[in-house]
Amino acid sequence: MLEGSVLRYGRLILPLLGFAAGCDAAVDEQVPLGGAPGGVEAVDDLGRTVRLDGPATRIVSLLPGATETLVALGAGDRLVARTDYDDDPALAHLPSVGGGLTPSIELLASLRPDLVVAWEEAGAARTRPRLEALGIPVFSVTTQDTAGIFANVERFGRLVGLPERADSLAAAMRSELDAVRASVAGRERPTVLYMIGLDPPMVAGRSVFIGEVLEVAGGRNVFADVSAPSPRVSLEEIVRRRPDLVLLPASGASSLPVERLRELPGWRDLSQGTTRFEPLPADVLHRPGPSVVEAARVLRDVIHPDLAAPQ
Amino acid sequence: MRGGRLSARLAGLALLAGLAVLVSVRVGAVPLSLSEITDALRGEGDPTAIAIVRQLRVPRAVVAGLVGAALAASGATFQALLRNPLAEPYILGVSGGAAVGAVGAIVLGWAAYAGWAVPVAAFVGATVAILLVLRIAASVGRSLDTRVLLLAGVVVGSFFNACILLALTLTDAESFRSAIFWMMGSFAGASWTVAGVLSLYLLPAILLLIALARPLNLMAIGEETAGYLGASVERVKLVAYATASLLTAAAVAASGVIGFVGLIIPHVIRLLWGGDHRFLIPASALLGAAFLVTADAIARTAAAPTELPVGVVTAFVGVPFFVWLLRRRTV
Repeated sequence: MLEGSVLRYGRLILPLLGFAAGCDAAVDEQVPLGGAPGGVEAVDDLGRTVRLDGPATRIVSLLPGATETLVALGAGDRLVARTDYDDDPALAHLPSVGGGLTPSIELLASLRPDLVVAWEEAGAARTRPRLEALGIPVFSVTTQDTAGIFANVERFGRLVGLPERADSLAAAMRSELDAVRASVAGRERPTVLYMIGLDPPMVAGRSVFIGEVLEVAGGRNVFADVSAPSPRVSLEEIVRRRPDLVLLPASGASSLPVERLRELPGWRDLSQGTTRFEPLPADVLHRPGPSVVEAARVLRDVIHPDLAAPQ
Repeated sequence: MRGGRLSARLAGLALLAGLAVLVSVRVGAVPLSLSEITDALRGEGDPTAIAIVRQLRVPRAVVAGLVGAALAASGATFQALLRNPLAEPYILGVSGGAAVGAVGAIVLGWAAYAGWAVPVAAFVGATVAILLVLRIAASVGRSLDTRVLLLAGVVVGSFFNACILLALTLTDAESFRSAIFWMMGSFAGASWTVAGVLSLYLLPAILLLIALARPLNLMAIGEETAGYLGASVERVKLVAYATASLLTAAAVAASGVIGFVGLIIPHVIRLLWGGDHRFLIPASALLGAAFLVTADAIARTAAAPTELPVGVVTAFVGVPFFVWLLRRRTV
């Protein structure tokens, strides 16, 4: 049963799991710009400086959010593989190395990447040490919050030798987020519960980007007081907090329709009160990358439906 | 004459295990031609192919073979000692203890510091479980009663399972997922270091079990009879339990819990060729090695590049074969 729930939610919650590591952009500024002429380097989320002889040209990203960041930087044509998690049709022609957390190491090695971006498991780090034993540089990320997303833009920009592109991408993302923030300025901010998983109830906390974007989009995260990124909470606590809006991201067949959730004990009481239930597309929302901007717009439109552009 | 036929069968099984290793090195997520593989084995040609064959595939096949041999030999020993056809390597709580160690190392974050933290913690946990079970069993009555031992194993195993559930409930989602991956069992972490440590440890242990084969034959009839026939029952029991349990502990530490091999392989040998432990234990070890190497090759390739849990393959391939074998013998 435990395995089942992990497999079921694994894909959904993948980018939202784990601890928020020190992925502050400020960390990188302390790094001396030494190294080989033409070389590039950046500090990953383990605090290790990853040095490359030159901008990466054969890249494998094992994380959808990182993949999206690389594509947005204009380095999409340097990707030599994708994972089973990537559903971008522009990447469909690339060979898949399997699941992002359990890729086939030999397939990865056969593609001769000069940079692999991987999620660092807090527990058994399986991928990184094995790739490094084969001489393949690994950049480990544990992106959780918005600061981490922007840090990735900057660091990946350096690793692919396109720092100006990274600056302009980050500036564009910031101004779009500011535009969303401005559009809800002065409005009443309803309390929002963002469900990452249903059974057991797992919600967006304060330090996960989706919890932060909720606030940008003119809502108040009803679990903003919990510092964990995706805390498991009791249904009682949810009912007690009585959020104005329950957001239920859905992806694929495993998700529960809003109509069914409304019938369940506890949830029924909320739905008979003033709480509104809304389904959302999980694919856009659970990707810590440039689509955070899109996520902000989607959330704004569902939190303040009167602002949504007429279809 | 009989001895000659048995050695011929053992040689045949050894050949089968060798063949399984060759097939396992031949196949993988990356299609490599036969000549590319032979070149890579000799250290010539494409450096990527060399790395894939010599650093990934060969050590992995070796580790799978060692673990298969350990589990099957340990299963055969437990079945003899406990005189129970359902006995298997994990029956005395070894897997529960190992899992508590491994999950503990993951949840407490030790795993992040060193790659060997999880296997070492798993081995320590398994050893604690073994000592606990033997201690409980020894404290009841004057001699090691197999029924008490079984019950002690089940109780200790249940207790450790509860500990795992508690740790998984209290931990964050990421450690939770790492722990589940570990418990599903896999040879993905295999390396020459793991293969070296395992073989230093496993081969003498399997030889020791083979050396105990004659008293085990007597024990399988009954402990009283064995005592009359001159076996020092208590000492044999203790040494055999400890050796088989530690074999299992090392196997679990290297690859997580892989079911089915230790239970079924000894039965296959018994159904085919009878239950003399002088033959049963080495034959089980060889067939266990061949079976697990093949199962891992299938696990790596059936849904490539995604790897299936090897326990899924051992059950999917092994169960139909075993049912077929059972029916053939009884008809």
